[in-house]
Amino acid sequence: MSRNPVNEALFKQWLDSHKGIIFKATWSFAHTPADAADLRQEILLQLWNSIPAYKGAARESTWIYRVCLNTALSWRRNANRRTARIDPEADLGGIAAGAASPADDAAHREMLEKLYGAIHALGDLDRVLVLLMLDGLAYREMAEITGQTENSVGVALTRARKRLAAIMKGVTDELE
Amino acid sequence: MNWNEMESAWNRQVPPGAAGTDVKALIETFEARRRKLAANLLWRDLREAGAGLVGAAVLGYLGLHRGPGFRTCLLAIAPMLGVTAFFILERIRAHRERPGFDAPLLTKLEADLAELRHQRRLLSSVGTWYLAPLGAGIAAMLAALYFSLPGPVRERGLVYFAGCLAATALLFWGVWALNRRAVRKGVEPAIIELERLRDQFSQR
Repeated sequence: MSRNPVNEALFKQWLDSHKGIIFKATWSFAHTPADAADLRQEILLQLWNSIPAYKGAARESTWIYRVCLNTALSWRRNANRRTARIDPEADLGGIAAGAASPADDAAHREMLEKLYGAIHALGDLDRVLVLLMLDGLAYREMAEITGQTENSVGVALTRARKRLAAIMKGVTDELE
Repeated sequence: MNWNEMESAWNRQVPPGAAGTDVKALIETFEARRRKLAANLLWRDLREAGAGLVGAAVLGYLGLHRGPGFRTCLLAIAPMLGVTAFFILERIRAHRERPGFDAPLLTKLEADLAELRHQRRLLSSVGTWYLAPLGAGIAAMLAALYFSLPGPVRERGLVYFAGCLAATALLFWGVWALNRRAVRKGVEPAIIELERLRDQFSQR
């Protein structure tokens, strides 16, 4: 790929404007800071590689979600083959560290860790849909990212929400 | 915790930005990785396609310049070139446009699945498209060498040539077994995993 200044500028802009997508997709699939660093590197590599193909037909955010999630799914399959099973004692401390801001408090961090813990317990499709739902995407955007029909997204998302609620109930009874 | 609280917590996350990232160094790393990968792939392609060409050249030389006893070697040239042609066609297929990481997830899953099934077919049939033609070439060369020996030497050399054939057969069996193992341990589980995920995405 040609390393031209336009591509470099676009890459830098993506890293700044869409850092939230990259961060959340990374931590939705990675369980430890080391895994997160590995997956983030992989996502950034694929984002960089995808730039020549980006012609502006799709929205930037749609494009970036697709690259992040495809990379994460592929990375997870490879990670599964490297280690037979995911470490049940996942170290989610990196999430809190990454999310730290003056406004953050212990309760917020704890809530995030529980939420990511629940997301990690979901299957791949549920995980993807829950991430997109929490980011506030419409069914149409979710369909563009996943390749499903809007109807399928609706049905699958309802199931995913129920599963997430069931998992979170194990953490707290207040989730409706 | 309810959905609103959950969404609020989710949206209050403050991810680290690119400010702390040396983008130029990162891109240089990616480019170095890309160049290394391209060099490795080129070397692999040359090695794989070149093996058949070298084999065909050796057989051609023996067949044309070492007397009538070596003419059988010429018969094995076509299968050798066939192996090279197969590798070249396979590389052309592999380099064709395929959905990248920017494709919708379901499209990418189906493309990955198709690629894995293709790999399974290739690995499962390695005996037909790779080992058999190479084996035919080696057997033809050994037979030509054997029958070109003078009578008394030929008798003494029988055990030696039989040993060479047996060693070749053992080596080929090892290659075949490794390929079968790769299908069983690597490709099949990956296909099952991808099919399961694809079915989740395809559910109505």
